[in-house]
Amino acid sequence: MEDAIEPFEFKQAVSILKSTGKRANSIHSLRDLISRVSDESIFHHMSQYFLKEHILGYTNDFAQWAGESLEERALAERLSNVDPYAFKTIAHTRKEVMRVIDDYLSEFPEPRCVLSGDEFYFNETITLIFPVGIKVKNLADFLMALRQIDPGSIYFHFYEARIRLGKGIDDFSRWFKNSLNRKTLVKRIKTIDPFMHNIDGIREHIIEMIEEDMMRDMRSPRT
Amino acid sequence: MINLYSGIAPARDLQLIHKLCEKLRGKSFLHVNSTREGGGVSEILQRMIPLLKDLNIDARWEVIKGDAKFFDITKKMHNGLQGNREEITEAMWKYHYEVNRANIKHIDFNADAVLIHDPQPVPLIEFRKNKKNSLWMWRCHIDVSNPVPEIWARIKGYVLNYRTAIFSVAKFSRALPIDEIFITPSIDPLSEKNRDLTELEIQTVMKKFELPMDKPILLQVSRFDKFKDQIGVIKVYRIVKKYTDCRLILAGSSASDDPEGEAMLNEVREFAGNDPDIHILLLPPFSDREINALQRAADVVLQKSIKEGFGLTVSEAMWKEKPVIGGAVGGIPLQIIHGVNGFLVYSVEGAAFRTRQFLNNSDMARRMGKKGKEFVKNNFLITRQIRDYLSIWYAMECKGKSVLEL
Repeated sequence: MEDAIEPFEFKQAVSILKSTGKRANSIHSLRDLISRVSDESIFHHMSQYFLKEHILGYTNDFAQWAGESLEERALAERLSNVDPYAFKTIAHTRKEVMRVIDDYLSEFPEPRCVLSGDEFYFNETITLIFPVGIKVKNLADFLMALRQIDPGSIYFHFYEARIRLGKGIDDFSRWFKNSLNRKTLVKRIKTIDPFMHNIDGIREHIIEMIEEDMMRDMRSPRT
Repeated sequence: MINLYSGIAPARDLQLIHKLCEKLRGKSFLHVNSTREGGGVSEILQRMIPLLKDLNIDARWEVIKGDAKFFDITKKMHNGLQGNREEITEAMWKYHYEVNRANIKHIDFNADAVLIHDPQPVPLIEFRKNKKNSLWMWRCHIDVSNPVPEIWARIKGYVLNYRTAIFSVAKFSRALPIDEIFITPSIDPLSEKNRDLTELEIQTVMKKFELPMDKPILLQVSRFDKFKDQIGVIKVYRIVKKYTDCRLILAGSSASDDPEGEAMLNEVREFAGNDPDIHILLLPPFSDREINALQRAADVVLQKSIKEGFGLTVSEAMWKEKPVIGGAVGGIPLQIIHGVNGFLVYSVEGAAFRTRQFLNNSDMARRMGKKGKEFVKNNFLITRQIRDYLSIWYAMECKGKSVLEL
C-alpha cells in the first residue's frame, strides 16, 4: 500500500542577500522604488520576513521600516495587513503595497525623511534549494521528521510554497490531501494564521494537529 | 574535518557545504589579505583554508608584503573609509599601487576564484592575467557606510574591476554597478578562542594576569583603536562602580597592520590612572586561549564601539552565553537583537544603565546569554560563512541565476 504513495521529500532553502543598490529615505522614495524594483526584491521583503528568527512588531520589512525608522505607525499597521499569500503573483502584491502607501499619502501628504543610515535598503536573494535527505511515506514518519527538520525547511514548504505553487496552499497540506487523503487535517492546518507565529510556532501547531489526526484514527480507524 | 562540526553547527549548513563542494570539487580558491595575525579576517582564514582543502577545494591563503610606510598609508585608508578625515596624497596612492605591483612577483594568482580582502590589496585586480577564466571578488570587512568621498572614490576605481563586491552589512553597500552581496563574518566554535574551557583553564589564565575573581567583571576585548572607544568603556565602568563594586578588563591584541595601536593604548592607560580595578592587557598575537578564558570569566561583556566593521567579539561572547552590550554601529545590530539576546546602546550612560541591569538581574542575564548562543549557532559560525562563499561562487558559475536547485 505504502509503495503506491508518493513520498514527501523534505527540502530546504538557504538564501544569500544581494543588494539592488537602491535605498529609500522617505515614504515617497519607498513608494517610487517599490514600483520599480525586481519581483525578487518585493518577494524578499514581503515574504521572507519569517526566515528571521525574532519576529518583531510587524509582518514584512516595509512595515517594519515604516514603523521603526519612519515612525509612521499607522502606515506600518496597514502595510502589516497586506497578505502576500493572498495574491497569485508578485505583481499583485506589489500593486497592493503601492495602493496602501498611496492611500496613506493621500491622508498624510508630508511625512519626514529618516536620518542618514536609517534608509530602507532594497535587497534580493540568491536562493539555493536542496533536499535534506529525508523522504517519508506515512504520517508517523512525517511527524518524526517534522520534529527535527531545520526551520528553513519549514519556511520553504509552509510559506514559500504558497507563492511557488501559486495556489495559496503549502506543500505539507498538498501532500496530506493528494497522497494521504487527509482532508480533515488539511482543513485544520488551514486555520493556522501564518502571520501570528514564528517558524517554531508553526512547527508546534502542525505537530499538534497531526497528533490529533492520528489519535482520531486510533479511535475510529480509517477504512 | 568538517564532520567535527556535526552537532555544533546547523545540519543545513553542513549539508549545503557538502553539496556545493561536490559541484566545485577540484577547483581552486585563493584568498589574499594583508596580515596573518590579529583581526577577525586572519582568524577565520586560518581555519577556513584547511577546511576547504579537506573538502577537495584547492584553497590557498596569501598575504601581501608591505613596509611600515605602506601600512601607515593603508591605516589612513581604513580610517578614511570609516569616515575619519585623513589626508592621502597622490604619492601615497602611488605607493599603495606600487607595493601591490611588487607583490605580484611572489603570489601565484592562478585560481578559479580569487577573494581579495579589504583595501590593502585591492589594487591587485589591476595585475590579474587570466581575466576570463577566474572570478575575482572583493571582500570589504569595514564600515564604509559614510566614507571620506575622495578616499572611497579612489578605492571604488579598483573595486569596479571586480566581478562582485561582498560587504558584511547592507548599510555598507555603495550602489555599485557590479554585484553586491552581503555575507556576515563568523567565529569558529572549535578554535582555541571559542572552544569549551575547563574551570581550571579559566582560573590559570586569570592567575597568570593577576586578575582576582572577587567581584563582578566587566570586559571589553578589542584592538586599541579610537573607534572601539575604550575611554568610553572606562567611563561606563566609573558610573557602574558607584552602584556595584566591580572590575574592568580591557584586553586587546596588536596587529601588524595597525601602527596607531600603541598611541591609543597609552591614551587609555593615562585615562585609567592608577585605579587597581582597571586592568589593561596588551595581549600578544595568538592569545586565543587567554581571550577565551577572559570572556568566560566575565559577568558582562561590552563592545562599545562608535564605528565597527562587524564586531565579532560580540558573537564570541554570545557563544559563551554571556550577556552582551554593544554600540549600535556596524554589524553589532545584526548580532544583538535589542532586549532579546543583549542590549544595543548609543551612549556611555546607556551602556552603564544596561550593565547595571545585568549585574542586578542574573536571571535575565542568563536568559539572554542562552538566546545569544542559539542566535550565534544559527547565524555566525564559520560553517555558515563557508557555505555563503561557496554559494556565491557557485551562483556566479551558474551565470548569476537567482534560484539554484542542487
